[in-house]
Amino acid sequence: METNYLTWLLLIPLILSLAAFAARWLKGFTRPVVEAAHLLSITLVLLMSLLAVRDVAASGQILSPGHWLHVDALSAIFLLIIGVVGFLAGLYTLSYTRHDLESGEFDLNRLSLYYGLFSLFLFTMLLVVTANNIIMMWVAVEATTLGSAFLVGIYGHHSSLEAAWKYVIICTVGVAFGLYGTILVYSDAVNVMQTPGTAVLWTEIVKNAKALDPSLLKMAFVFVLVGFGTKAGLFPMHAWLPDAHSEAPSPVSALLSGVLLNCALLVIFRFGIITDLVVGPAFTHTLFLIFGIVSVAAAAFFMFVQRDIKRLLAYSSMENIGLVVLAFGLGGPFAGLLHALNHSLVKALMFLTTGNILIKYRSRSLDQIKGMLQAIPVTSVLLFVGAIALVGTPPFNIFVSKFLIVASGLAAGYVWLMLLSLLLLSVVFAAFFKVISSTLFGEKPDGIAKGEYGWLTLAPAAVLIILILVLGLTIPPQLNSLLNQAAKLVSTNLVNSNLGGTSFAQTNSAGLLPGLAEVKAWLTPLVSWLP
Amino acid sequence: MSSVTLVNSLSGLLILTSLLVIEVKQSRMSAIMYSIQSVVLVLIFLALAYITGAEQLYWWAASAFVTKVILVPLLLYRALSQAAEAEMPRNALGPTLSFVMAAIAVAVSFVVINQIQLKAAVPFKPALAVSMAHFFFGELCILTQRNLFKQVLGFCLMENGSHLTLALLAYNAPELVEIGIATDAVFGVIIMIVLGNQIYKTLHTLDTGKLNTLKG
Repeated sequence: METNYLTWLLLIPLILSLAAFAARWLKGFTRPVVEAAHLLSITLVLLMSLLAVRDVAASGQILSPGHWLHVDALSAIFLLIIGVVGFLAGLYTLSYTRHDLESGEFDLNRLSLYYGLFSLFLFTMLLVVTANNIIMMWVAVEATTLGSAFLVGIYGHHSSLEAAWKYVIICTVGVAFGLYGTILVYSDAVNVMQTPGTAVLWTEIVKNAKALDPSLLKMAFVFVLVGFGTKAGLFPMHAWLPDAHSEAPSPVSALLSGVLLNCALLVIFRFGIITDLVVGPAFTHTLFLIFGIVSVAAAAFFMFVQRDIKRLLAYSSMENIGLVVLAFGLGGPFAGLLHALNHSLVKALMFLTTGNILIKYRSRSLDQIKGMLQAIPVTSVLLFVGAIALVGTPPFNIFVSKFLIVASGLAAGYVWLMLLSLLLLSVVFAAFFKVISSTLFGEKPDGIAKGEYGWLTLAPAAVLIILILVLGLTIPPQLNSLLNQAAKLVSTNLVNSNLGGTSFAQTNSAGLLPGLAEVKAWLTPLVSWLP
Repeated sequence: MSSVTLVNSLSGLLILTSLLVIEVKQSRMSAIMYSIQSVVLVLIFLALAYITGAEQLYWWAASAFVTKVILVPLLLYRALSQAAEAEMPRNALGPTLSFVMAAIAVAVSFVVINQIQLKAAVPFKPALAVSMAHFFFGELCILTQRNLFKQVLGFCLMENGSHLTLALLAYNAPELVEIGIATDAVFGVIIMIVLGNQIYKTLHTLDTGKLNTLKG
């Protein structure tokens, strides 16, 4: 299905970002103008994203004229994440920046810069997930760094400038590897297809993938994984992540952790699909398994020793991105994609809650945040629910996706790897247990007054709690269908090429591959309650 | 000398000019050396345009001349001129080690590129290996330099390497693609320079070794 509104989906936040930048010259009106532009931007992005997701669910995929923009079931999930998390973090940011204005952290010029960059950041992420042109995909990923670097360093403190520098330099260098991989894939595609205009389109490369050069594709995928893996925060290319995510304003941290990392993952998965078609899934799956489990392991131990609450959450993002990649390595894209969505919602909730803590305590140190139940009781409940959801406690959504990842691993025969994963997840559980016990209870420090900052700092988080609870209890049929379509996109080639591997989509609808009957019998009662 | 040999020989010059960018003693001279290197890149684009008959490569050459020979070096020269030479942090590698690392990068890239079976790449395999080596050499520069703006130059070297690969393997890409990549690269450098200037004004140093408050 061809449509024009994909172009508008990109143009709207871009135009409104320029409006916010320009509002600095409207002395006296700067704040209402930037806030109005911002509200309009996040609302329209949400509505148009939902519209696109609905159309994809109905027709399989949508394309812009010329086919440079494209949304299929796979990217629809990421578009949904941008729309929902972008809207809720954007709503929260209104009260957060008002506090920054009151406390003197922001003046009106900086406010206008902030809102301009916020919409620009949304635009760049939307471009990543909708780009069908693989080189524009790279351009978009690079643009996310450039668009968000000043957001990370917006306060201009020593630590925030340091974080912004590390972010720019590490990600730009990392993503340059991605460009190299992209060029290799394109040059091979153009060699095969002889039409430069179409050889640059992902949808066309997939159609002609079987004729591509296997050794070149393997090399290209390694470049892509290292390059975009840097942006996704995979170990050992993660060095920028805890700094940038902790130093950015909390609503921006929510976008960085909940949305941006996923955008980079989508690009890796896009190239993974092409590579699987050419060389079979064993190559990408092995790399995914290695990078996934190592990221989970490293993050778990960094979290355990962490005393800065935002850095701890940043490492938690690394752990969860590792889990998503691990799920793909196990041949369980359904579980991986569901986990990407679930993690985005919970992590946005956690960072917004941390914003409330920062407003009240002016510190991220777990040694100074005490007695939250006395000082900010509603935020305490939000933090508690977010933390238990994040570690995978029922009835919240992450329990379901973590369970499905482990089930996919067991179904694929990776028993020891799953045991190791569960062990690592118990370390994560212990890390969050320490956070809860240390912050919620005890006496609040002297000088900390009781009371929340305002309803707007609580409402977006409350909506997120409702969403994670609903997704924990049931996966709505439309979402289930979208996830199944996306999982099939990733794993269709595995079935066609008879090279093995399973996905939850397959286990859910078509049955496990031969040889795994016992595991299936064991798993069936456990997964039968799922839609 | 055939045109193909000319392209391969000019590509070799890129590595030489990279060594100069990294090892030249006066920091601001690095920006001039980078500009000279970009002239070599522009010449390669022109030679490739002549060989392949691809008109868009003339445009690539023109845009590279404006951005890489003039604009980016000018910005970097000004950025590097704001601090006194004595304040400039030094390179962790000496010239000999840099030369050895460059040689290793070229050798490894030759081995890797040899495995590529692309028909279009066969005559330009030496240039392709050099472009890949150049990319790695740029990264090495970022890892070993402690000067903020020399790290930006490292990124510029990487970018020149990938730009050459793009020209050798994908010169017929839609023009908007090249414009996108070039714009992104120039914006990347400008943003790094603005951020570097902000760091220098706030922290009064260009030494990345002193950006060490965030740990763990």
